[in-house]
Amino acid sequence: MPAIPPAFHLFGIRHHGPGCARQLVAELERLNPDCLLIEGPPEADALLPLAADPAMQPPVALLVYAIDDPRRAAFFPLAAFSPEWQAIRFALQRGIPARFMDLPQKHQLLPPPQPTPPADAPTDQTDQTDQTDQTDQTDQTDPSDPSDPPHADEDLALQRDPLTWLARAAGLDDGEEWWERLVEQRHDGTSLFPAIAEAMTALRSEAPPPRHPDHALREARREAWMRETLRTAHKEGFQRIAVVCGAWHVPALADWPPAARDRELLTRLPRTAVEVTWAPWTYGRLASESGYGAGVTSPGYYHFLWEHSRSTTHGSLASHWMVHVSRLLREQGLDASSAHAIEAVRLAETLASFRGRSVPGLAELNEAVQTILCHGDDAPLALIRRTLIVGERLGEIPDSAPAVPLARSLADEQRRLRLKPEALERLLDLDLRKPGDLERSHLLHRLNLLGIPWGERSEAHSGKGTFHEIWKLRWQPEFAVRVVEASVWGNTIENAATGLALDRAARSTELATVAALAGEVLLANLPDAVAGVVSRLEDLAALTGAVGQLMDAVPALASIARYGSVRRIEAPRIRHVLDGMVARIVIGLPGACASLDDDAAQAMHTRLRGVDQAVPLLEDANQTAAWHQALQRLADLDGLHGLIAGAATRRLLDDAVEPHESTLRRLAFALSFGSEPAHAAAWLEGFLHGSGLVLLHDDRLWSALDAWLAQLPPDAFQRTLPLLRRTFGRFESTERRQLRERSRQPSATPTTVTTRASADTPDSQPPFHLERAERLTPFLRRILIP
Amino acid sequence: MSNVLRQHAEQQFAEELDQLARSDTRERPTNWRLSPWAVATYLLGGTLDNGFQVSPKYIGNRRIIEIAVATLATDRALLLYGLPGTAKSWVSEHLAAAISGDSTLLVQGTAGTSEEQIRYGWNYASLLANGPSRAALVPSPMMRAMERGLIARVEELTRIPSDVQDSLITVLSEKTLPIPELGSEVQATRGFSVIATANNRDKGVNELSSALKRRFNTVILPLPATADEETSIVVKRVGEMGRALQLPAEPPALAEVRRVVQIFRELRDGRTEDGKTRIKSPSGTLSTAEAISVLNNGMALAGHFGDGTVRAGDVMSGLVGAVIKDPVQDAVVWKEYLETVVKERDGWKDLYRAAREVE
Repeated sequence: MPAIPPAFHLFGIRHHGPGCARQLVAELERLNPDCLLIEGPPEADALLPLAADPAMQPPVALLVYAIDDPRRAAFFPLAAFSPEWQAIRFALQRGIPARFMDLPQKHQLLPPPQPTPPADAPTDQTDQTDQTDQTDQTDQTDPSDPSDPPHADEDLALQRDPLTWLARAAGLDDGEEWWERLVEQRHDGTSLFPAIAEAMTALRSEAPPPRHPDHALREARREAWMRETLRTAHKEGFQRIAVVCGAWHVPALADWPPAARDRELLTRLPRTAVEVTWAPWTYGRLASESGYGAGVTSPGYYHFLWEHSRSTTHGSLASHWMVHVSRLLREQGLDASSAHAIEAVRLAETLASFRGRSVPGLAELNEAVQTILCHGDDAPLALIRRTLIVGERLGEIPDSAPAVPLARSLADEQRRLRLKPEALERLLDLDLRKPGDLERSHLLHRLNLLGIPWGERSEAHSGKGTFHEIWKLRWQPEFAVRVVEASVWGNTIENAATGLALDRAARSTELATVAALAGEVLLANLPDAVAGVVSRLEDLAALTGAVGQLMDAVPALASIARYGSVRRIEAPRIRHVLDGMVARIVIGLPGACASLDDDAAQAMHTRLRGVDQAVPLLEDANQTAAWHQALQRLADLDGLHGLIAGAATRRLLDDAVEPHESTLRRLAFALSFGSEPAHAAAWLEGFLHGSGLVLLHDDRLWSALDAWLAQLPPDAFQRTLPLLRRTFGRFESTERRQLRERSRQPSATPTTVTTRASADTPDSQPPFHLERAERLTPFLRRILIP
Repeated sequence: MSNVLRQHAEQQFAEELDQLARSDTRERPTNWRLSPWAVATYLLGGTLDNGFQVSPKYIGNRRIIEIAVATLATDRALLLYGLPGTAKSWVSEHLAAAISGDSTLLVQGTAGTSEEQIRYGWNYASLLANGPSRAALVPSPMMRAMERGLIARVEELTRIPSDVQDSLITVLSEKTLPIPELGSEVQATRGFSVIATANNRDKGVNELSSALKRRFNTVILPLPATADEETSIVVKRVGEMGRALQLPAEPPALAEVRRVVQIFRELRDGRTEDGKTRIKSPSGTLSTAEAISVLNNGMALAGHFGDGTVRAGDVMSGLVGAVIKDPVQDAVVWKEYLETVVKERDGWKDLYRAAREVE
């Protein structure tokens, strides 16, 4: 095999390695190349100059996506400390041509061989694109595809991070730690790149060949394309060509097979139309914990390393880091003095020398922070991890960058569903039984989740039943900006809404918020978000001590479980969560109802009614029985606010849990001479809430109430009057009239209201008022006989 | 064979310490018997170059011991924090034995610990007869450790009254112990340091002032990492204690032990073993030691009042007592656990019934 011409200088790098970036810049400055070739998608060559735009702030990502389906996409995240980013910037500053040399994405982002139903496709695809990395951009084989052999992952793991294997050979578990020790923390290192090349050559000759033939072929094509790009550059007559690629590829680029063989590999490649753009990125999504294959565990720390290596300030890395950490802790109101920081630096350095390292690594720094700054506690470490080690930095892209795929996806949806964005407000009536309308409803709900309130759902009843949704549509120009903002969450409306919903669920600590979110997610038909939201709901339900929060969440959930468009898989889960919540409410209810003031009692009353309506929806005899027991305990509780006690008694009466006699006993007890008039009035309000018919049906209740009113002393009567008026004022007018009529009768007569009209009917017979009934018959006939 | 009931660590493991010292070629801090690496090997176990086997004294996370040794090597004081029964005193004793060859310079912290026990006292007969002099002074273990450059140990630091605790501040920051009566002082020799242990559930007793806290590097010793590890510790201890107390019942079956350990772990961690369900944690510690006593209690009940086999009912009363320390909050936690976890679990019906009976 012919060796590479001497014009080429190969730099095998580790993606997102700050030490590597530092040494690459030093080498490039020494070499002064006249051409730079970088591993990356050639489609993006035209967008490279944007990297020099002052408005471009890393972390950013190059995003390549298929025009016909933006879900097929590949991301190439770049941070300030990524060697590729530094190489691009170097080329742009010096005005040297820089080119990407990887196999174009138009040959890689192909549609899957067998078209899968669109409903299942999005998730699988997103997972892939997110995991896509730079040594290995595309893995277009569907992970759930049964034909996918089990070894493919192993092959990928080796190529993504070949250093892990070297680290294992060196007796460490963690490739990153090994790399940090050997490369990132070194300050000399002119020999770094030859050493990497040598190690990779050895590794590649030892490593087993890829076991999946498709995978092997794709790798061969990528490397053939890279070599072809190298040949072209050579032909153009460049003298000092710097080649920046993943360490793994160095041996393949150093030895050139005959050009004809490479060309043969690259003929007749299938292709698809792709589009490229820059997208803002975050350090959170650069972290490997987000599922990004070439991710690093600590982007924020790497950023710090990078900044530190370029700064001219004095002092060791550990001391600067500790200052950062203690400042953060102080901002959060935790004790962290300079003395703490000094001791932490000492411990980190001792630990490092104890473990045979010249400088403390992240492990030693973390241990020192926990031992000294956090007094052994590991809770503040989570904060440090989130804000400093992973980091929260968000990238920015200039306005001149091409539109993001999310905007394109939205435009596609609007065209497909024939919903035109118009600035003029208009009403839209959706019949959810029609598939097209249902999809429109999903789209509007998803956009609302994404903070793009194009449609506002009218809560007013349309009078057409629950199958209808009335929307007020109005497109506002600033929505375009929000679409760009929302594009961090995904490339299609569905993916983005799912991503955002999951994030919101993870951040939220209010049970009712998450329950409401679960409802929104179901309305927006985001099956992948449902699982995440429900499990968050489960966590919160278990941890919350506030029964009130649980009670607030139950009604929404119960109606979801009963009527919601829940997928079959999720229904039992929601049911399970709901059962747990009801069990907890039953246990905690008496405690939660103790010593409430008037306002709190009103709130609790509303909740009580909500749960009471929700429990029957579960259609579970055990749950209903448990709920009734809780109500009974409540009604028996001493010192309970009258409103709650009355309401509980009423529920027990309505659901026929207790015999009439006990209701009577409770009423008599509440209204007895010994109890405060205010308490009694509140009790009545709770008991009679919504309807007073019960008083008409049971004469004994009526008499008890009558007797109580009669015995009230004048001043107490005046005080309770407003309360009673409020209670009775809420009844419907016919009910109030009946009550009025009833009150004109002497309370001693044992007749009921209904028997009054036909007093001559014997008591055992149900009373009829024929004259009145006949008036209805013509109308009934019209309804019943068509 | 010694007649002593319990030997000090440096006596019991004298041979290991001797072998380690002989094969230890690394640099030793002044007045240390071993290098930091050898100290770590002594605690964690390992094989020496000459093939000698060092038995592990602490089974658990290696990094914890490394941090502890590195702390002492930077002449900072070490505070071992943790629940009861997490081997705090054990680690402290062995560290002192390995570093100083003497684990006896010990101040036991109690509510009655006085300043004399930390600083110095007087031999009053001699004081009255000859007046104040070094000869009349009774040095504390702390003072002796300072003079000789050894490790002093303080057990249960948070049990010591706050004003007495604070007498440690000068010792730890200035590394000196003033004797105003004689107009002199004792300055610490190199190698001196302090290992204190404290119970992190006893915070309320006498929490450390932040001034004192700042002078310690804090290492938290965790509970056993896995259920299997904890189960084996419990099985071993329950068996030993059952024999010692001459309980008539059979040691409980492994399944019963596992169940108790699982309940303890789940309530402690606030999540079920399968990680699917969140639960609230009660206010008590629920340490391994308590699991052991629950099972012992169950054995006694089964032996004296039952048929000699430990069943759910025998364990339950002890279990409820261990979990419910606060009659209001913990009762809710326990009920929720019963209703949402125990009730639904296959094969736990007997436990659920037993729990309802106890109610």
